[in-house]
Amino acid sequence: MTSPRPILGTISLLLLVGAAAWAQSGKAPSVSFAPVALVTAPRAAQTMVALNFRVASGFHINSNTPKDEFLIPTALKMDLPTDIVLGKIEYPAGKDLAFPFMPDQKLNVYSGDFTINVAVHPLSSVIPGKYVMHGVLRYQACDNAQCFPPKTLPVSFDVKVVKGAGQHHANPAQSPHVHS
Amino acid sequence: MSSVENPKLEKMEDTPAQGTQWCPQCGAALDDGEAARANAEPGTPTCEGCGAPLAPALVKAGSGDAAGFPPQGAALRKKRNPLALVVVAVVVAGMLYVGFHFARRAGSDQAETPMKNKVAPDFTLETLDGKKVRLSDLRGKAVLLNFWATWCGPCKIETPWLVELQNQYGSQGLQVVGVAMDDSGKEEIAKFAKEMGMNYPVLLGKEAVGDAYGGIPYLPESFFIGRDGKIVKKIMGIDSRSVIEDAVKETLNTQASASSAGSPSTSLRVGLPAVARASRTLPMTSVSQAQN
Repeated sequence: MTSPRPILGTISLLLLVGAAAWAQSGKAPSVSFAPVALVTAPRAAQTMVALNFRVASGFHINSNTPKDEFLIPTALKMDLPTDIVLGKIEYPAGKDLAFPFMPDQKLNVYSGDFTINVAVHPLSSVIPGKYVMHGVLRYQACDNAQCFPPKTLPVSFDVKVVKGAGQHHANPAQSPHVHS
Repeated sequence: MSSVENPKLEKMEDTPAQGTQWCPQCGAALDDGEAARANAEPGTPTCEGCGAPLAPALVKAGSGDAAGFPPQGAALRKKRNPLALVVVAVVVAGMLYVGFHFARRAGSDQAETPMKNKVAPDFTLETLDGKKVRLSDLRGKAVLLNFWATWCGPCKIETPWLVELQNQYGSQGLQVVGVAMDDSGKEEIAKFAKEMGMNYPVLLGKEAVGDAYGGIPYLPESFFIGRDGKIVKKIMGIDSRSVIEDAVKETLNTQASASSAGSPSTSLRVGLPAVARASRTLPMTSVSQAQN
């Protein structure tokens, strides 16, 4: 009886070669978004969320601050539920790289893995529970010889809003006005 | 401050959480209960996705990477159905065929293209100042049709070469035509064209025109169209100036067909009645007008 291991090994090798050939042939750049763990965000406080992205090997995308005014910056746009406020979006610093098509000028780019941090701030009026945050990452990718049209990548993550420390149940029957 | 708790997966089917465990057989995300039971009682639980038993070691091997990206298939080992192996082999063979086929095509795009020796698809597009330009009106000239965009770094390198080539070979019958595939608007395109000193017509591209030329999946792309209106060469992506210049020379050496021999070939006189052509010449580029 033949061991399946050599067969599996061969198939794995073929798969890798095939995938590489496919990637080269399609020349389709891809940026992927890693799943985010459920984020617990206390009300009336700011919670930072790390969003991890990966640029496919052989490609780069402009950073959020490209060095040429005509280049399209990578930008995250979030569309949050009412009463959950988007705070600061922190983009990583890009890498200054020169490319064969522009040897005298360095471009500021993201390649490989990079992380964008966003701050979410549920207002005190938000009812505790789970909420889905939606957004898109707009980017424009190139390889060493050509550039691809701008694309958008859907981004989403779940936020569990909880009562903030020191907050206690509000009595819905109670008037919000102060009575002396 | 931030707090990220362990994932509860009841709402996370589409976006499994960081640290998620994965079925080594089918790759399905396991919920906390499955993963916990697998680690506590080896062999007893099964994946809801494929029914495979969940041994702790295998579950561990199926965990995603630190960034939360799904596990790679190479890390998963398990007994496999012979039929599945055959299917995988067929899929692999198909991928290899398609991959190598396209890789070879991509590598030889400069030399040959399915559109080579075919009449270049005709189109009418507007210049920055609203004038109509029809490609077929350029019969008798050697046309370098360059698809570009303002956001395209390689295009920015290539454009000055095209300006030089237009200056150098224009008198011999070369007509560079730029087709901007931007969606950023006329102003941005005009600003770029002015900055780059583009001395040839800049047309506002349309998707249909791009489709007619193979979809223009990336930029820059240049088509070299002979005096007879047929495509001589195509260059995808940026290439060296000398390669582009050689292609220009080759295109200039083409002969105009009998029907186009009498066409005007002194400048870009397009979109005008024959009488008007005889007395007027459209501006080669209207960048300055569009700026104002």
